[in-house]
Amino acid sequence: MKLYIGGAYQGQEELAQQENPGAEFFFGFHETIREVLARGGDPLAYTEAFLRGHPEAVVTANEVGCGLVPVRPEERAWREAAGRALCRVAAKSGAVTRVVCGIGTRLK
Amino acid sequence: MTILVTGGSGSGKSAFAEGLVPRLEAHGRIYLATMEATDGESRRRVMRHRAQREGLGMRTLERARDMDGAEIPEGSLVLLEDLPNWLAGEMFGGGNPQGMPQALCRLAGRCRHLIVVTGDVFADGERYDGETARYLQALAALNRRAAALADAVCEVVCGIPVPLKGKLP
Repeated sequence: MKLYIGGAYQGQEELAQQENPGAEFFFGFHETIREVLARGGDPLAYTEAFLRGHPEAVVTANEVGCGLVPVRPEERAWREAAGRALCRVAAKSGAVTRVVCGIGTRLK
Repeated sequence: MTILVTGGSGSGKSAFAEGLVPRLEAHGRIYLATMEATDGESRRRVMRHRAQREGLGMRTLERARDMDGAEIPEGSLVLLEDLPNWLAGEMFGGGNPQGMPQALCRLAGRCRHLIVVTGDVFADGERYDGETARYLQALAALNRRAAALADAVCEVVCGIPVPLKGKLP
């Protein structure tokens, strides 16, 4: 498992593809978590199942937790769940890279 | 050399970028100010930055659009502050936002040293649409282009530079 994170539009998908040709990619994991919540699922249970099912996956996601706490409860729940889910993905990943302006910095 | 400095608002990125100026040799130092000061708050911001720059021996050039028209003598150091305001000037002030990546490359080619300040506004988790989404995408693309062009890139966090690429002077 590898994880590439960064703010919106920082080029994390491009860098992940460049560095891992032929890998199994999952882009936008923060949006996957939104979909899980929208259909009434448990984001952490989903994430654990995902980690078991795709141990070699390359995952990309946006960092979404650096704004003001949202007024709408479902937005609050999503940001929190996305952050927690990405902590689990990062814990299981052999490499975690943060992308700023298209440049990757290896965090793990 | 070309240097890109990024960071959140109030991160100290401007002061850090200004601190780089005396370390680079040049014939003439130009502060290329891209913000259009239209209200009291932005005018106060301009005043604060001017006071911060005193003693650096920089000539201020105010320009919100069309950097090709900026008069830059050969051998100059240019500190461009900043990309978010320049993009706003081109996008919302009747300029040419599509031409900005090329204009930035040409600007770098005309300076002895170019220091570019930009902003990190991409991790708030908000979903924007319309004009705001287009602005954010354009700014991110411009940041990536500037980073690719730059010899050195750093992110400033609480006034501390975190190197992302190359070696700072």
